[in-house]
Order: sequence, then C-alpha cells, then structure tokens
Amino acid sequence: MLRQAAGHMRGLLARRASVAVTSSAVRMASQGHEVSETVDMSRPMYYDRADVPLPDKPYKDLLTDADKSLKQKEKGPWTQLSKEEKIALYRLMFCQTYPEMKQKTSEWKTVLGGIFFFLGFTGLVVWWQRIYVYPPLPKTFEGDSQAMQLKRMLDMRVNPVQGFAAKWDYEKGQWK
Amino acid sequence: MAHPSQLGFQDAASPVMEELLHFHDHALMIVFLISTLVLYIIVAMVTTKLTNKFILDSQEIEIIWTLLPAIILILIALPSLRILYLMDEINDPHLTIKAMGHQWYWSYEYTDYEDLGFDSYMIPTQDLTPGQFRLLETDHRMVIPVESPIRVLVSAEDVLHSWAVPSLGVKMDAVPGRLNQTAFITSRPGVFYGQCSEICGANHSFMPIVVEAVPLEHFENWSFIMLQDA
Repeated sequence: MLRQAAGHMRGLLARRASVAVTSSAVRMASQGHEVSETVDMSRPMYYDRADVPLPDKPYKDLLTDADKSLKQKEKGPWTQLSKEEKIALYRLMFCQTYPEMKQKTSEWKTVLGGIFFFLGFTGLVVWWQRIYVYPPLPKTFEGDSQAMQLKRMLDMRVNPVQGFAAKWDYEKGQWK
Repeated sequence: MAHPSQLGFQDAASPVMEELLHFHDHALMIVFLISTLVLYIIVAMVTTKLTNKFILDSQEIEIIWTLLPAIILILIALPSLRILYLMDEINDPHLTIKAMGHQWYWSYEYTDYEDLGFDSYMIPTQDLTPGQFRLLETDHRMVIPVESPIRVLVSAEDVLHSWAVPSLGVKMDAVPGRLNQTAFITSRPGVFYGQCSEICGANHSFMPIVVEAVPLEHFENWSFIMLQDA
C-alpha cells in the first residue's frame, strides 16, 4: 500500500511539475481556456503582507549577471552603495514597498455607488407602485376621521399611564 | 389599543401585564448592554492596525466569557419563572366566560347564572361611524366587571384561532375540541382591543376582540339587556 501511495505521489508531483514548467500559453492551447497556475503551497512562497515583513524567499530568484555582481557588492560596506543600488537591491528582495502595499483603492466608490444606484432603483419601483398598483386608502384615513378617532381615543383614556392619554392635559384641553 | 406610530407595548390594564412590562424592560436592558458590547468589540477589531499571530491559549478570558453568560442567563431566568408561576396562581374567578372562535367571528357565552350567548362580528370598514377604529370595532363587546377576577375558557368551533388582548397580557390559543383556560383582572375600566392571533383563513385579520370593563352595576344592566334581546 505504501508503494502504491508513493507511486501515486510521483504521478501527482509529475503533474504539478509539468504545470510549473509549461507556460500559460501552452496550457491555454491544450485546455482551450485560461488555467490558473497551480501553486505548490508546501514550498517556500513569496508574498507581500503588511503583517509578515519577511517572506519565505526573495522576490527575484533568477538573478542576471548584473544582479549577481550587485549582490557581491552588497557583501561589502553598505555605505559604498549608491541610492539607486540600494533601491535595486530592495526590489530584488521584495516586490512592493510598504506604501505600495497599503495603497488605498477606489473600490469603496464603486461599492457605495452601487448601493445608491440600487436604492434609487428601489425608490423608482416604490413610486411606480404607489401610482399604478395600490388601491385608494379607506375613508378612515381622511383628516376629519382621524381627528374624530383621536378624540375618541382620548375620551376612552387609551394608554393613560405612559402612552397616549397620559400626554394629554384634560384640564387645559391640550397636549402636555 | 395602540396609538399612532406606537412601537412599544400598550399600557397595562391588568397586574400581570404590568409584571410583563417590567420584565421586558429588564431583559431588553440586558440585551442592549450585550449588543453595545459586541458592537464596540466589532468596531475595535475592524479599525485596529495591530496584529498578533502567535496567540496560543487564553484561559482567563475563556473562563470569563463562559461564566458571565451563565450568570446573565440566570438573571433573566429568575424573574421570568417568577412571572410564569405568578400567572398560574390559584385565583377565585367571579365570572367564567367561554370565548369560542369561529370562522370568522368570536362568540361569548356567559352561562354562570343565566344562559347568555352572543356573536361578536367585526364592523366592516364601510359601516363604521366617524370616530370608530377600522378593523378593531365589533358589534357586541365582551363586557366584564372591572377589578374582578375573570376566567375565560377559550375554544374553537372549526379551525385554530387565538384569543388575544395585549393590554391585559392575555393570549390563549383556541383549539377545536379543547378548553384552554386563562384568567385576568382589569385594574381600570375601559375598552381593550385585541385581534385573532392564529391564522384561520381568509378573514383571520378581520375578527377582533373587544373587552369592555365596567363597574359591576353597569355589567348587571348590560347582561339584563342582552338577555332580553336574545
């Protein structure tokens, strides 16, 4: 069983390796559509994260000759490096700087705009409904009817403790 | 009844409802405290720039947030159970009324002394006189003497209904073939409205309940008149 598992693993690794080795153009041709790269998470990865300052490996792995000579120079005193060389060394090690990582996007404008758009659309739908769908209100909603109902509620002492009639001054005949 | 744009409970018209109001205040305060705390924690978590990826265990806070909720639950449960038992106290009703739910009206039977029974239909909107309340008024009200313990036996003649009067703190399901008992005392005279509280068909929203609490004399006059009319 162990030998079976080992054989299985070798097959999987071979497939992973083939994906890593082939280019995206080749994968596109063979699969017929974009295929995302399979990343092997068990090997050291590079990532830009504000809370993890030092990733598992440097950004640039494959160094050109110029890069290699710069790295040699880095082994000496750093005061002899020019500003451009220091920046070039940084860019060898890291992809983005902290300010670049923390850059604000304009995504909030899209989100807020989408929210307002749909709120507005809902408002249009509601307005249309009020005109074309809703039946007329019952006659108890008219002003006189409401006034008479209110008077009757006060006469009946509705909610006299804290609620309704409690707020009416019966001696003066007005709201408190 | 509720006044316009009312959000909270109606004022209590019975001692049990007063207790329920106080309990609700107590429980809601606890709920507000917890919600405020959680909201504060959420805002604090979302707006901080600090990170800590190396937390392994947290014994102290785990103890706190296990014990504290248990204590809070006990603080809620004790008043709740107190009211529950309070509602089931042995009372000595002066009057027993049977409230029977039909599709779609209530009928009340006062059979302690004489044989009084009548139906209570909602007054349709087009028949309302100015000043009456839409969907709440009935042609006959359940009149009871004020400040007397009343027992109501609730049942139904066809499908499930529920007899509910919020200001008295009463709700009892009307189950066909079953007698459910509830009791209350009205602390003040007045007219108290309620609505059927169990879906029962097309006119479920149109079978209200109106309880009118009057001094004993008026109750006696009323029942005399009702008996004559029957």
